[in-house]
Amino acid sequence: MPSAEYFPCENAVQALYCTHHSWLNTWLRSRLGNAADAADLAQDTFVRLLQKTERFELKAPRAFLRTIARGLVIDHWRREEIERAYLESIAHLPEAMAPSAEARALVLELLEDISRLLEGLKPKVRKAFLLAQCDGLTHKQIAMHMGVSLRSVERYVAEALYHCYVLRYET
Amino acid sequence: MTPMDNAARCGPDPRVIKQAINWALRLRNNRANVRLREQCEQWREAHHDHEVAWQRVQALQQELSGTLAAIPGAHVALENSAQGLGRRQALKLLTGVLVAGSAAWVSRDLTGWQRWTSDFATATGERRSIQLSDGTRLQLNTDSAVDLAFNPQQRLITLVRGEILVTCGAAASAPLLVQTRHGLFEGIDGRFAVHQTSDCTRLSVVSGNVAIHSPHQPNGLSTQAHAGDNYLVRQTQATLAPPLAMDIGAWTDGLIVTRDMRLADFLSEVGRYRPGYLGCAVEVADLRLSGVFRLENTDQLLAILARTLPVQVRYRTRWWVSLERSA
Repeated sequence: MPSAEYFPCENAVQALYCTHHSWLNTWLRSRLGNAADAADLAQDTFVRLLQKTERFELKAPRAFLRTIARGLVIDHWRREEIERAYLESIAHLPEAMAPSAEARALVLELLEDISRLLEGLKPKVRKAFLLAQCDGLTHKQIAMHMGVSLRSVERYVAEALYHCYVLRYET
Repeated sequence: MTPMDNAARCGPDPRVIKQAINWALRLRNNRANVRLREQCEQWREAHHDHEVAWQRVQALQQELSGTLAAIPGAHVALENSAQGLGRRQALKLLTGVLVAGSAAWVSRDLTGWQRWTSDFATATGERRSIQLSDGTRLQLNTDSAVDLAFNPQQRLITLVRGEILVTCGAAASAPLLVQTRHGLFEGIDGRFAVHQTSDCTRLSVVSGNVAIHSPHQPNGLSTQAHAGDNYLVRQTQATLAPPLAMDIGAWTDGLIVTRDMRLADFLSEVGRYRPGYLGCAVEVADLRLSGVFRLENTDQLLAILARTLPVQVRYRTRWWVSLERSA
């Protein structure tokens, strides 16, 4: 593939689309195992390209498309996982107390946001942090619950807060 | 855009952020320790960046625990989904480097961006009080954001969005200024509220004096506002407005205090404190109400309305609420 520099103008994206769309579709289908989702995400990938405002260099267009598509696949999975886990967690509620479809959609969005924030934390760090933030446990209680020292809990919670801080305010 | 403190824009450095987190956690574990609290306050006052980092850590913690506590099952859902997602990524995306943050880089709405890049900000339903180094007290109402630029020449507060109540500190040689999209307000003394909406800024002077410098005022003349005055300021003019049918700044005590207020106006005010839509049917919009209401739980507040006025509360979803004439 010749090296070329593109602006993300519609022409460039259109050219990419014609050349690589069916390849991307196949790549996505192999990840998702589902033709409809693959077609949606392939479409989304090109939409993202159109929205990109900065100039980008395109030496390896397929690697570039794959990078964007991979992000979308992870988002897609995250949504599925959150939805599944959330529906499970409210499944025991009596029908009258169960949130409506609209309310569920909003909660899912909030959870997705937070899940993205927590991504990349080590499991122990995440666990200590969730026990502190969701359940309001003291560090002592968390240490007992997790069977680790108080020092470790303090370190975990501080590390998680720092991670969230950087994602929220500095990216 | 107004002059901005470049250091604040870049944000405190990692060392300061970690110190702020450390203070927050130590205080959380030792709430009753007065000495620790004093030491923490000294640390906060030592540098502008310390205070910024401290306030951001507070906001982050409140946002997270507020959201998470309000969602039953959040902990289980987040833990299980994180595990599930980890497994799927490990299985299916072995090739290449994972893209952290995934698609989030593409577009962030402006409000979200402002929320996280302003020096101090509140989420919907949140309030915050900030004691500034010169003795000025700054209170942020729900969904508000400010930037601060304090130096020997001026003490500038830029209201990015929402509403603030300013209590002027001791007179200093540098003027105390509040900038909005529509004008510049100079606090001479006393207390005043500034509320910025999309088309205008409302100034309400509780006590003391405020000078309004609106950018298109002829000859750079400014308007003097005094205790009890309300002004609506647009880029072209500042006009004296009738007083609001509610107490200015009652929100700092978590209250909304109304005198003969239209229901529709009341609801649009209360709507600022909760996410989603809150409105009413036309036939009840002009009902009047007076009273003292607590903002802490707006669902409860709506339930009280239904007992005092001929209205019923209709929840189409948790976040889509309208008041209708009761049957």
